[in-house]
Amino acid sequence: MNATHGSLGAVYDRGYRPYEGVRGGRRAATFALYKATLRRALGLRRSWRQKVAPFVLLGIATIPAIVNVGIGYVTRNEIFSDRIEIITYREYVGVSSMLLLFVALVAPDVICPDRRQRVLPLMFARPLTGVDYVGAKFGAITTILFFFSFLPQVVLFVGSMLVSDSSFEYLTDHLDVIWKVTLAVAALSIYYAVIGLAIAATTDRRIVAGAAVIGLFLVTSITSAILVGDEEHYNDGSPAALINVLALPLQIRDLIFLGHIDPESSLSAVSNGGLYATGVYVAVLLLAAAVLLRRYRWVER
Amino acid sequence: MSWHTQYVVDQAPLLQIDGLTKRYGSVTALDGLNIEVPRGRIGLVGANGAGKTTTFRLLLGLAHPSEGRIEVCGVNVADDPIDVRSRLGYMPEHDCLPLDQSAADVVATFGELSGLPARAARQRASDILDLVGLDEARFRPISGFSTGMRQRTKLAQALVGDPELVLLDEPTAGLDPLGREEMLALIARLGTFGISVVMATHLLDDVQQVCDYVVMIDAGRLVEAGPTDSLLERTGLVTVDVGHRFDELLAGLARVSLAAVVTDGVVDVAMNAEADLDTLRDVIADLGLPLYRLSTRLTSLDEVFLRRAGVQA
Repeated sequence: MNATHGSLGAVYDRGYRPYEGVRGGRRAATFALYKATLRRALGLRRSWRQKVAPFVLLGIATIPAIVNVGIGYVTRNEIFSDRIEIITYREYVGVSSMLLLFVALVAPDVICPDRRQRVLPLMFARPLTGVDYVGAKFGAITTILFFFSFLPQVVLFVGSMLVSDSSFEYLTDHLDVIWKVTLAVAALSIYYAVIGLAIAATTDRRIVAGAAVIGLFLVTSITSAILVGDEEHYNDGSPAALINVLALPLQIRDLIFLGHIDPESSLSAVSNGGLYATGVYVAVLLLAAAVLLRRYRWVER
Repeated sequence: MSWHTQYVVDQAPLLQIDGLTKRYGSVTALDGLNIEVPRGRIGLVGANGAGKTTTFRLLLGLAHPSEGRIEVCGVNVADDPIDVRSRLGYMPEHDCLPLDQSAADVVATFGELSGLPARAARQRASDILDLVGLDEARFRPISGFSTGMRQRTKLAQALVGDPELVLLDEPTAGLDPLGREEMLALIARLGTFGISVVMATHLLDDVQQVCDYVVMIDAGRLVEAGPTDSLLERTGLVTVDVGHRFDELLAGLARVSLAAVVTDGVVDVAMNAEADLDTLRDVIADLGLPLYRLSTRLTSLDEVFLRRAGVQA
């Protein structure tokens, strides 16, 4: 260490120390980007304003579970033929579709600034490919969506179990809920994440991307409603219901929980409606993934 | 990688470029470059649009050559671009920093992206920001940084992964004279840390000040490559700095028939024979002038570049 001494003190030149520790490759770089994206999306290491939206949404998503468990607790000594249940596990997956707002807010925030502020050349000068980049961003947003959808279900499940007459009996009676909720929430999270990121990848502007995400779901659901027709014909159902991309993961949810399309769904009277819903769901996923990967193809060119 | 392969890689030239051509449609950005560049501080010089940034993209494996082959530190870029990138640091010319984050967060994140464990990346980010002179500002958002501080942050993110080679694209662009000198001093120090540098610039003064090897390209073609000293030619002039008393010197030199001219506050004296140096020394001594500098005047890299690029054209 060199030191330059002056009348007021000394300036130390600590020089440069080479790094001699372990060094990861592509996988480590991808995981690092995944962690950085998680932090950014949740507002960690950012101002409090950035933390408000994700955690308020998580709070709102958990309210029905808390209310349900609270009612169960208050009425635990009442004698009912059946317990009061304001929301079922299947319906709760539908509540998670409000996380679309989170996607509209966060997907552009984790994608657009990298392009707008031209950070991508710095990232791709690292041991990282375009596929790794897409994978890390997708993984992070899916993880958050999954846990934001899954945690309220855990609150509902554990709370209901604790206020039930027999916790063990509740657990054994509802074991199937565990895998059904996991699968349905995963289907919803993957779907929203990949669509949100694909739309965000097509523009540098966050506000445009956010509006486009909301717009896509609004326009397709309104178009679908118009095409399906008025209430009189509603019971007949229509394949036009498949246009509603917002409802597609909920059709998948119904297939997981009920084994068939919900009888109240506008797709219920369509023969092989479940199969069509699954096909369109997969097709939308693949299309969005293709758009996303194509946007970062230049890295390998 | 076996020890033998590692040895070969360590002994390899910094860059081995054979027949490198890059075309974008009908535009040829690089045209048949053949260069072998040793380790050290390398200046990649050329006018705007000469192909410097394209060369960097090819070195990083972010673009594929239309023809030819590139080895960086002994590794073929086409075979293993990921390995090449893990050996490199890159500082682009343009703004490229996330403005809403602090320098410490940005540099640490890029350290992790270079493969360092999280804790090591944060420690190194702190050390490197200290090295580039941003120790006190490292927790401030980059949006509040001056151009010079942003350039230092860009350099820090390039160094945080402890690269074998850093690619610096116009590192002094937009800096004031003091900032430029400080940046060049930093770059000059990198060589002492065992880090090779390729500095792309159109400012030949910067290269002359910092680099020990120069590669000149123009319109995608190699103009000249070689050690900086070997490219600078003698002009037959000797530069003498006697402070502000050059009028006295000019008069003294005229008495002994030595031709001289004042240029930028120093006196350039024409040397026709070896004995003229002794005559010059005697004139200065007889006049009692202070002698601050006496050096052979070499051509500048600008002159070399203009002459050789002109010959090629």
